[in-house]
Amino acid sequence: MIPLFTRRRFLDLAGAAGGSAAIYQMALGLGLIPAAARADRPDLAPLGARRRRRVVILGAGISGLTSAYELGRKGYEVIVLEASHRAGGRNLTLRHGDLIDEIGNPRRCEFDPDPDLYMNAGPARIPGHHTALLGYCRELGVGLEPFINDNRNAWVQDEAMFGGRRIRNREYITDTRGFIAELAAKSIKPEDLAAPLTRGDYEHVLAYLRSLGDLDQSFKYRGSLRAGMALHDPSAPDVLKQPLDIHELLQSNFMMNIMTFGEGDDQAAMMMEPIGGMDQVVAGFLRKVDQHVRLHAMVESVQVKERGVRIVYHAQGVRTVIDADYCLSCIPVHLLSGIDNNFPADFAAGLAAVPRGKLFKIGFQMKERFWERENIYGGISWTSQDIQQLWYPAHGIHRQKGVILGAYTFGPRTGEMFARLSNEQRLELAIRQGEQLHPGYRGYVEHGVSIPWVRMNNMLGCAAAWTDELRQQWFDLLRSPVGNYYNIGDQMSYLPGWQEGAIYSAWHALADIDRRERQNSQPAAA
Amino acid sequence: MSIRWSVLALISLSTRPALAAETSFEYCTVCHGANGNGNLAIRAPRIAGLEPWYLKSQFAAFRAGWRGAHADDAPGNEMRPVAVALSEPQIDRAISYVGSFSPKPPPITVKGDVARGQQLYAACASCHGAAGQGNESLHAPALAMRTDWYLATQLRDYRAGLRGAHADDPNGQQMHAVAAALPDDAAVNDVVAFIDTLR
Repeated sequence: MIPLFTRRRFLDLAGAAGGSAAIYQMALGLGLIPAAARADRPDLAPLGARRRRRVVILGAGISGLTSAYELGRKGYEVIVLEASHRAGGRNLTLRHGDLIDEIGNPRRCEFDPDPDLYMNAGPARIPGHHTALLGYCRELGVGLEPFINDNRNAWVQDEAMFGGRRIRNREYITDTRGFIAELAAKSIKPEDLAAPLTRGDYEHVLAYLRSLGDLDQSFKYRGSLRAGMALHDPSAPDVLKQPLDIHELLQSNFMMNIMTFGEGDDQAAMMMEPIGGMDQVVAGFLRKVDQHVRLHAMVESVQVKERGVRIVYHAQGVRTVIDADYCLSCIPVHLLSGIDNNFPADFAAGLAAVPRGKLFKIGFQMKERFWERENIYGGISWTSQDIQQLWYPAHGIHRQKGVILGAYTFGPRTGEMFARLSNEQRLELAIRQGEQLHPGYRGYVEHGVSIPWVRMNNMLGCAAAWTDELRQQWFDLLRSPVGNYYNIGDQMSYLPGWQEGAIYSAWHALADIDRRERQNSQPAAA
Repeated sequence: MSIRWSVLALISLSTRPALAAETSFEYCTVCHGANGNGNLAIRAPRIAGLEPWYLKSQFAAFRAGWRGAHADDAPGNEMRPVAVALSEPQIDRAISYVGSFSPKPPPITVKGDVARGQQLYAACASCHGAAGQGNESLHAPALAMRTDWYLATQLRDYRAGLRGAHADDPNGQQMHAVAAALPDDAAVNDVVAFIDTLR
């Protein structure tokens, strides 16, 4: 199986070959479809002093916190019920002493107490065009720093090529592209160019191919500085590396995804991360809404009434009933499905129809930042092994220790496999596979944490694994309100697995509430 | 309510006190749904209304690896670590917690040939009772008012050897033999469709 390495495409198109989303994007790019108006941040009408609206928000994930913040500052009375011991949902940063609340297997994060030693177990990078999230970061005072995603100095390692020997990402990309450019330049003939290309364009195509592959005057690829020098010695003339054996390079599937991973819409530079951990976003929201958030509050029942919604929840041994005007829920739909409700039958069926993603991460505290001695500062090494990727921290550079991501897997089968293992077995497997990328890896490991999202308490999945077919069948229905009840969360967006999607889902529901409230506040016609 | 709270307090003892302070360990209902009435979306069956002796035996089966250890049994894989993490007194408390739930009739989701299922059920009735009421002395749980898709899954798992394949699990082996005697896959749905009528 060829893994799909871009998160959005994986999450959107899991199980589907091709998919209409890609076709839509292509058509959009070609100007065939008018771009839909953006659902921008709603400017909610403030409630007048005499009006009172109570909104209960189920789940303190990013969409729940966004809703609480937006509604609260416009005079709505909000309460956020969160089943877990913490706010944030899958926005989870692990540091010294933090609880890892895996069902049946709770444990502590044993990283040293140090502001640079943390792991973003959920979202970990923010693309520069995720303006909704970046806007809140600015507004809430969440400091950002550059995040390094794509690093040509990192490694690629594939059992299918070079006997599993690691090679630099820059060599892999440069040598493969050089070969392909040479092949194209030698194959293409002026008469092959069809309109709108002209004979005159032929020279430009050749020039482009020469530049693309760094070919010599006779269109031969003889190696390139882009692949790195055999020896970095500025006091001596450049010595190019010899191109790698193209037959070996062609054995790897990386060219189908890794070569272009860092060019993806959601993966290309420039990306950001909050200084000190992704949960600084949560902390920013909580500075505004903390007083409204009730932890350890498990929702038992959601009953949509003629006017409003009745919620029953259980906390600290006490069962409480709340009657609210509106309810917004970012409870994962696969868990909402098990909560008593009076939703229409088709809506309830939809809740149970959306499969859950099984993404999995491991973090290791390393006693030395050995990767920096290999000229790697941030970024990702890729492997065909189960662990799929290693991430190197872009913060805390040149300090003694660092936390690296020792595994990040997208596929459901791999996620299930890791989830079946004990924490110790998971770490052992990841160490053994990490050795293939960094000989001596095991010796640097001090502590490890594993996060199988499919087993994390009150989550049991990451993220909604929509397929095109399921979207067609259920998405509009599940995003539409039932009475005054709304599903939100990244699951209710076209960007599952990203905080940006969560925020837009909240905006979508808030805009509808605002529309209804504005209608209600109109004076009756004379 | 007092029962529920005391159960939670006890379950929390398995971990350091600081852990218990942070998390409620209300695991049963996270997966098995409010009041343990089941959640089809994550293949968690209804546990409300199950016999305490049967719950006890299944905790033991999960702990021993007779259930939930097979790589093809993903839902069982999810349950097993929970059973392993609990001590015997905690299991007893969890069972009385489940006993505090208010059971709802499970939805009917399995379609099959009820008449054929009734004939096939003759093989089940000797242990599980003509009305599916169960028989503790034969270690046979009630089948009436159980989650039907779960019954079908378990019959298929018994047939495939995902359950009832362990030498130390005589009750499971017996079920494996009975399930294997069903003539075909359709028979699984037929017999469950008949059990759905025993309400």
